[in-house]
Amino acid sequence: MDPIVEQLKILGRRQFLKNTSLGFGATALSTLMNPGLIGTANAGVNSHIAQRIAPKAKRIIYMFMAGGPSHIDTFDFHPEMRALHGQELPDSVRQGQRITGMTSKQSTFPVVAPMFDFQRHGKHGTWVSELLPHTAGIVDDITIVKSMHTEAVNHDPAITFINTGQQAPGKPSLGAWLSYGLGSLNENMPGYVVMISRGKGNLQALYSRLWGSGFLPAEHQGVKLRSSGDPVLYLANPEGISRKDRRMMLDGLSKLNQSHFDSFGDPQTQSRIAQYEMAYRMQTEAPEILDFSDEPESTFALYGEDARKPGTFAANCLRARRLAENGVRFIQLYHRGWDQHNSLPKQIRGQTMDIDQAAAGLVKDLKQRGMLDETLVVWGGEFGRTIYSQGKLTASNHGRDHHGRCFSLWMAGGGVKPGFEFGKTDIHSYNILEDPMHIRDLNATMLHTLGVDHERLTFPYQGLDQRLTGVEPARVMHEILS
Amino acid sequence: MLVKTAREAIIYCWQRKKGVGINRVRGHFLASIVLVVTTWMCVGVTCAADAPDFNTQIRPILSQNCFECHGPDEEGRKGHLRLDSYEGATAVYKGSSAVNPSKLDASELITRITSTDSDEIMPPSDSMHALSKIEVKLLTRWVESGAEYDEHWAFLSPKKKPLPKVSRAHKAWRQNPIDAFVLQSLKAAKLDPMPEASKTALLRRVTFDLTGLPPSLSEIEAFLSDRSRNAYEKVVDRLLASDHYGERMTLAWMDAARYGDSSVMHADGPRMMWPWRDWVIKSYNDNKPFDQFTVEQLAGDLMPEATEDQKLATGFNRNHATSDEGGAFPEELRVEYVVDRVKTTANVWLGLSMECSQCHDHKFDPISNEEYYNFFAFFNNNSDPGMQSRRGNQAPLVKLQSKDRDTQLAQNEVVQADLNKQLKVRRESIGPDAEKWAEVKEADLRSAKTFKAQPAGLQHHIPFYDMLDKKAVELISGIQSKIIAGARSGSWKGNTTLRMRNKDAVDYQGVAAFVEVDKPFTMSAWLKTPVNRVSALFSKVKQGDSDMRGFDIWIDRADIGMNLSSAYPDNTIRVMARKQLKANAWQHVAVTYDGSSKAAGIQIFVDGKAQKFDVEDDSLTGTIQNESPFRIGGRYPNMNFEGEIDDIRLYDRVLSQDEIGAVRADSNGQLAVFTADRPSESQSKFIESSFLKEEDSIYKKMTSDLAAAQKSEAQIKKEFPELSSMIMQDNPDAKMRMTYVLERGLYDSPKTNKVITAAVPSFLPPMPDGAPANRLGLAKWLVRSDHPLTARVTINRYWTLFFGGGIVETVMDFGNQGSMPSHSELLDYLAVDFVESGWDVKRMIRLVVTSQTYRQSSRVTPKALEKDPRNRMLARGTRFRLQGEFIRDNALAVSGLLIPTIGGASVKPYQPLGIWNEVSLSGGLKYPQDKGDKLFRRSMYTYWKRSAPAPNMMIFDAPTREKCVVKRPRTNTPLQALVTLNDMHFVEASRKLSERVMTEGGVSFSDRVDTLYRLCMSRPVTAAELEVCRSVYDQQFASFEKAPESARSYLSTGESSRDEQLDLIEHAAFTVLANMILNLDEVLTRG
Repeated sequence: MDPIVEQLKILGRRQFLKNTSLGFGATALSTLMNPGLIGTANAGVNSHIAQRIAPKAKRIIYMFMAGGPSHIDTFDFHPEMRALHGQELPDSVRQGQRITGMTSKQSTFPVVAPMFDFQRHGKHGTWVSELLPHTAGIVDDITIVKSMHTEAVNHDPAITFINTGQQAPGKPSLGAWLSYGLGSLNENMPGYVVMISRGKGNLQALYSRLWGSGFLPAEHQGVKLRSSGDPVLYLANPEGISRKDRRMMLDGLSKLNQSHFDSFGDPQTQSRIAQYEMAYRMQTEAPEILDFSDEPESTFALYGEDARKPGTFAANCLRARRLAENGVRFIQLYHRGWDQHNSLPKQIRGQTMDIDQAAAGLVKDLKQRGMLDETLVVWGGEFGRTIYSQGKLTASNHGRDHHGRCFSLWMAGGGVKPGFEFGKTDIHSYNILEDPMHIRDLNATMLHTLGVDHERLTFPYQGLDQRLTGVEPARVMHEILS
Repeated sequence: MLVKTAREAIIYCWQRKKGVGINRVRGHFLASIVLVVTTWMCVGVTCAADAPDFNTQIRPILSQNCFECHGPDEEGRKGHLRLDSYEGATAVYKGSSAVNPSKLDASELITRITSTDSDEIMPPSDSMHALSKIEVKLLTRWVESGAEYDEHWAFLSPKKKPLPKVSRAHKAWRQNPIDAFVLQSLKAAKLDPMPEASKTALLRRVTFDLTGLPPSLSEIEAFLSDRSRNAYEKVVDRLLASDHYGERMTLAWMDAARYGDSSVMHADGPRMMWPWRDWVIKSYNDNKPFDQFTVEQLAGDLMPEATEDQKLATGFNRNHATSDEGGAFPEELRVEYVVDRVKTTANVWLGLSMECSQCHDHKFDPISNEEYYNFFAFFNNNSDPGMQSRRGNQAPLVKLQSKDRDTQLAQNEVVQADLNKQLKVRRESIGPDAEKWAEVKEADLRSAKTFKAQPAGLQHHIPFYDMLDKKAVELISGIQSKIIAGARSGSWKGNTTLRMRNKDAVDYQGVAAFVEVDKPFTMSAWLKTPVNRVSALFSKVKQGDSDMRGFDIWIDRADIGMNLSSAYPDNTIRVMARKQLKANAWQHVAVTYDGSSKAAGIQIFVDGKAQKFDVEDDSLTGTIQNESPFRIGGRYPNMNFEGEIDDIRLYDRVLSQDEIGAVRADSNGQLAVFTADRPSESQSKFIESSFLKEEDSIYKKMTSDLAAAQKSEAQIKKEFPELSSMIMQDNPDAKMRMTYVLERGLYDSPKTNKVITAAVPSFLPPMPDGAPANRLGLAKWLVRSDHPLTARVTINRYWTLFFGGGIVETVMDFGNQGSMPSHSELLDYLAVDFVESGWDVKRMIRLVVTSQTYRQSSRVTPKALEKDPRNRMLARGTRFRLQGEFIRDNALAVSGLLIPTIGGASVKPYQPLGIWNEVSLSGGLKYPQDKGDKLFRRSMYTYWKRSAPAPNMMIFDAPTREKCVVKRPRTNTPLQALVTLNDMHFVEASRKLSERVMTEGGVSFSDRVDTLYRLCMSRPVTAAELEVCRSVYDQQFASFEKAPESARSYLSTGESSRDEQLDLIEHAAFTVLANMILNLDEVLTRG
């Protein structure tokens, strides 16, 4: 990377620190002369460059439904579908587009209308599936985008695309870009955390690249929080070592490091001292944030009883709210099991049961705490599913294959319109008729809500000012912003 | 004038960051940095007094601000203007030209960049670019002074310039060509070099740099007591001769070569590429010249009469990510693999990012879209497919000999053959005795309380009673299974069972042929499974193109069901009993069918009780017969079973519930055999073998010996698996694949109107005469002696190992957007010298680490920090945090835990629970942690699963290695502190380190701490440090004294044993001290 550009970034950081009251210590400041020495709690190397738009949101909570939830059975309903049930998908709809190797050999492509009831909800009569009664209850708070689309139709490239902005491995994830650009708001906590839960449906793989830092420094990679054992890897002192013991040893360590600094003068040594102190504070702060014992009963009524069980999606939602309250910039939840190639009616019921109440509960909770305006909440997967049945369509059973040409997601808070639907698909929920929104547009829009211009959040790598949205055009979807 | 020009040169660089104007940068803070950077910018390039230097001052402005629209990319070019060449810039279009040398007024470029009209101004106001006043001035003066263009420095062959003369003041410095160049630039910058580092610091530095390990106590001792002038050079020679040198160099190469032990995409299954890694280690240790190292890795397979080793070397370009995802498009993947090979080859050898031109002409470097595909064509004929395996190596590959495996298996085979022969003899001599015994046995069985008459109609019976020769017999027909490769015998109530591991299936050709849609049957078996997956208990299924025919009994976690299909899914009966199976418990299952073609004619029994079941399909009309074998523990092509299976029976009628109870009561299958009306031949054999097994002590001894030999065979195979490594191999001539430009880089949009041949970019020298237009020709071209990039890029990459950064900081980019070298003449000198020496890597590294520049103290004075914070000028030794692998290896080495074996298969040391399960496909993949020595190998051998790499390395900036990385970022974070404080690797190492110091490091506390310091920092402890250590130790001692159970649990981390001779409290307190030392900045840093 260009040394001068680096220096500039340092200066940018310095400038930023002057203008904020993050209470950064003198020690940490001294390390600013030496880039890449700052711990997870930094002010974001690029902040004053990138953040030029007045931010609506301070943070993002992204509920990622891994495997490709069916848009047809959740949000993208057309009453006309009922009449098409069982009929062959017309070629005029499919237009010869490629379909995955899993169904390309099928001799028929019968249309399957959702095997669930749909009702209109909220002020604007938004269709929501019976699978999502709680989400139906918050339609007036969210924007449902029905015109998401992606070029990828298989899991690995598709999930890599939507999490990192490119289908092939190697790029930083959205959260890493945010950590790099905006830094953390709590110096004792990582700025980017990831939590994983699993449903009973077909589990597709996840990969550490999905929350990785790509070519950005490793300090920007997502920290995976765990539901059992140490919430953060290696957080707990070894057995037999009390907090007092640890403090005493760290005092000795600090003294020795300080005397080393006195004779060698390397600011990195001081950064190291600060780093150990942060680690020490994280040891108590992280478990405290994640301890639910101070939550009233009403919390569990809101998120559901599942929230008491560590490792569930509901528990992760509650953790997300607590982390958001404590300055974590980007919280990504993964819920696995949405890949319904077969037995879709049964499996999707299980999956939606896992997430519906908690996802809606999180939005309500943020709202009642006055945090929704400053938190962008996103719900969605890597692609949608086909209108036609994968495998045999019976009276009560069928599957759906992957579909990237349109899918649905919803967003709430953080400057996104409440009670809004965006984008329109054809009656087969197959092609987009109006307002297409590509993954790149989604990324540009999410960054915009945080006050970041996606064209300015860049990192020089391999001769190019790399960015999350890549080199293809990307547009901030102002239509969905309030 | 000079300073002013240069300073301005810097300022434009500040502008290069998009969107930042000079007005943001104020104050003397800026000034001080500018001064420093100014000076180094001048080094190695001529700072002309008047005309700005094109390469250092003008091209970067044009590249960053103009080339996107007015550069090499023809399609994206606007206004018919090309600014990356003199011809383009001065061309006349519509009566004017952008640049009219020496005539400002007639130069449209100047008019536009100085315009105040927002419609006129360039770069356009809505672009992300803007020129600063200084940049405008520079461009103006450049046009004024003749608008000379130079070729980009890195695209011209390097020339060796005469060594600069060193001033008298620095004569005391040892002389080495590197020092001459560095001193020259220091002088220009008015900086003084630092004196030599202390002997101990130097030894530690060079030992880490050349081997990745700390010096041992005896090595320190030897160096300190060696007073000869060349004591240090002797150390360097010793280190370069150490096999650990090859390991250290290989570790860096593994990042570049994106080495991993798994396939990356989708299932991220295992692969075996470590034989390639061993090849790299050996190549470095043998000091294979870098040109050969290059040719063999890129094209070893194409070399005349290629050896196995040369083929193995080409694994370099098989390390990339591959996929096995069910719905994927093989051609899309295959193209992606080629793209990766182009990217990696260009990054590593050329220092160029070619990938921009996959979709369009490169915006900054002169690589056209078509030239990209010329380069692509070199790699486009590889024979490996798009869809690759998730289970091990995908052809093409080399099979490798494993002497250990072959010898040991041969020995084992002799033992087994001999025992089998003896067993046969014994069996043949036993007939009459067995018959008598069978009569008694039958009477016993019949008189037992549990006796129940066995139902008639038994057609097939597989009790797995013995599995001689790794086959199981169906007792009624005598049909033998195919060899059961992975399946093993388990045991239940002293009875043999079939144990399966979710990998294998057991096939019988001819069994269950009677099963048909219009005929009744009963099928039963015992099973035990973890109920965590979808699998088949047994099946007889023929897979068609889109349908399946046959039957299966299958399990979906705790559900058990049956399919009877003529053409699944349209013509089928499918039933499922929900949640009836218990995890890991033996239970009996039976299914009956009355031949009615209806689901209603089916009953499912679990442990003798009829179960309710769901009917998911009931549309069977046609035959279900097929020619596939009867398969136990799977349904083609997978659905493999995990757990144990026993006593499978097939009857040709519907058994009643009572009869099923009788079958269940005969759990080991003996009644069915001993009470058969007319025993079949195989049943009689079974009786004979039962007699032998139960009554004949000689036979029993032989069988147990055989079992032991079989076990040892399995052990040998496990320990020494069959070896292979993936390689590059082109399609045969008759199947050569055409290469076309892909429209926007998309695999399914080839522009078939023009065939693209393999060729190198035209701005670089041509292929050598007679070089073939294939990978071999490409490799030979890369190592042309006058190639402008290969040697420079290589030297620069090696330089980063010893100075923490490159002479060119953008190690991966030597193109127009790359940074300028800090010491360009030095880089060129080293590059030419490297080639002239025959690409001698050890010689070049020796030159670097014996330079006085390298040997300087890394002490940082405030003045030096202010003037050159990043030490680009090299006025001091560099300090940087050790890479993660070295930090762990250091802890293992100083504690005595390290197993220093070189090479071999990857190992699985400790890692926190659940790291694999959390992300794996279907979620069931556990991390099979190793034991013993494998826990303590060097970190470069840690199994690298790229979807879930070792977290304690990732936290220290290790790349996932999904893509080529030639320079790691280097960060310091609190999470790193948590690793070295709490990860059990470090807790255990601290315990062993304290043990070592307490037993070998003297008796007194001060002697022990001194030893600790020498081990970890290669130097003695100071009095002040000793005092801190004393205080920590005393406090910790007091704390543990009050809670000895805490001391014990603290000391119980890790698999290695504790020296029980040592006092518990002392040992624990000293372990805390050792852990503190392992966390010192000085220990984590190479300085």
